[in-house]
Amino acid sequence: MSSVLRVGSEARTAWCSFLRRRTAVFFTFGFPLILVAIFGVVVQTNPTGSGLFGHPTGYYVPGYLAIIVLFTPLTRIGSSIARYREGNRFEKLSTTPATPAEWLAAHTLVNVGIILLASAVVLGVLEFLTGWSVVLSPLLVPFVVFAVVMFCGLGAVLGRVADSQDGVVAASNAVALPLVFLSETFVAPEMLPAWFRPAVGLSPLTYFARGVRKVTYLQESGLSELFVLALLAAVFFGLGAYAIPQSG
Amino acid sequence: MAAAVTADSLSKRYGDTVALDGVSLTVDTGEVFALVGPNGAGKTTLVRSLTGTTTLDSGSVSVLGTSPGDTDGEAIGLLPQSFRPPERLTARELLTYYGGLYDESRPVDDVLADVGLDAADDTWYTNLSGGQQRRVCVGITLVNDPDLLFLDEPTTGIDPAGRQSLWSLVSDLSASGTTVFLTTHYMEEAETLADRVALLDDGSVVESGPPATLVETYGGGTHLRVETSGGDGQLATLDIDATATEDGLRVSNVSPEDIGDVVGILDRHGVEYESLTWTEPSLEDVYLRLTGDEADDGETDAPAADAVASGSGQR
Repeated sequence: MSSVLRVGSEARTAWCSFLRRRTAVFFTFGFPLILVAIFGVVVQTNPTGSGLFGHPTGYYVPGYLAIIVLFTPLTRIGSSIARYREGNRFEKLSTTPATPAEWLAAHTLVNVGIILLASAVVLGVLEFLTGWSVVLSPLLVPFVVFAVVMFCGLGAVLGRVADSQDGVVAASNAVALPLVFLSETFVAPEMLPAWFRPAVGLSPLTYFARGVRKVTYLQESGLSELFVLALLAAVFFGLGAYAIPQSG
Repeated sequence: MAAAVTADSLSKRYGDTVALDGVSLTVDTGEVFALVGPNGAGKTTLVRSLTGTTTLDSGSVSVLGTSPGDTDGEAIGLLPQSFRPPERLTARELLTYYGGLYDESRPVDDVLADVGLDAADDTWYTNLSGGQQRRVCVGITLVNDPDLLFLDEPTTGIDPAGRQSLWSLVSDLSASGTTVFLTTHYMEEAETLADRVALLDDGSVVESGPPATLVETYGGGTHLRVETSGGDGQLATLDIDATATEDGLRVSNVSPEDIGDVVGILDRHGVEYESLTWTEPSLEDVYLRLTGDEADDGETDAPAADAVASGSGQR
């Protein structure tokens, strides 16, 4: 019970700190909206043609959501770790009953809330701007949650490796950009070289994209992808909790 | 009296740098123990060794009867060096947050009152003065009412009034039975607050004991500092036990009653002086003597007349 209370205390603080950083709030929600505006409205899809956006709008819904579930946790958790290190907060925390896993759970919880909210906003804006009617499956929620947990864990690892907030941003971009374009999000598998296609399965984001596409576009179950994603989330969360530093 | 902290032969290296070199010490329950040393002496590494936030190369530590990694988090408090909590929270929110990490915590209003921040409780941390910020940080270490408190340079960077306020707080904590392990590079702070002091230099404890005992044993006598404006020749004729300094003379073992005699000697020899400062030996004198840093004070060991006569005085 006390563990739950500690997670709650940490999560309330993280949520409050987030809301009071106005630029962080603006860009957390603004960045995916800019992408929707660019690709959904300016570039537009071309279902009868070929090329990068040769599928209907619904095909790219996993891509828009992938941007949020990937970039936001990586940069936010990584930056938080860098800030905590710079302020010697982990050194302080390590002498309290709070554990690294509780800290990560609290910050993951906050990210889940932020990203579920941002995902809802993106889907609403997408429907409003493109007229595409998004299929809302209840499975969307666990897909987003597991993906956020997974990338929060990865963000913690990056935060441990990088020695500053600048370093975290650079490392996050270096990891996230290849994943975004090579995980069946915006680039369909048939556009990739045949020899490369098996490598797509190595990206954890692929299982999110495939699963979300199944439940929102293909109207299939997506449970196998959800299972893989849950396993990956557990593994990455464990790695992330282990990576959280004990001192400055 | 039972030991709250026992450290035995602690050693720690960072690459080629020796941070701790066989440090041993004991902190008794209920006492204020100050670890004194300049920046880079190894103070923070020692605190981290005792709190289990760094691993030692060798040696053993017992904190409240267990190894640091197994210490009951409810029973200790730590203010790390250069600690900065989340900045966009108020003092009240910060104390509530850290209090929420413990099974039992003190009422926030009580802690705010202890650190004198009742009136600024709803101000964001980032908008508080440096002294107020430091008091919030100390308050954060008190939310769980710890039995053992580690304060790593708690007064660095704050104004004299803020420092006095924290000294008062530490004294109150000590009076209420809290064991305090304090690091500082302010000798006056250690001398004022500590029951016992350990002097750390290059990762080694060079001496430890009650401040008064250390001063009595190693501090030397009283001395009178004479700031002169004349040339070296004036000093050559003086017949007193004095050493030359960069700005004048230091006359040793002068009681307050003897000051008039020294002034008379200076006047008789026509030595022009700008000020006289009489001081008792302090912990700083002890530290400088034991670490061999006395020469940094601009003094020589030779008597003034001899020093001037041989042309080696530092004037």
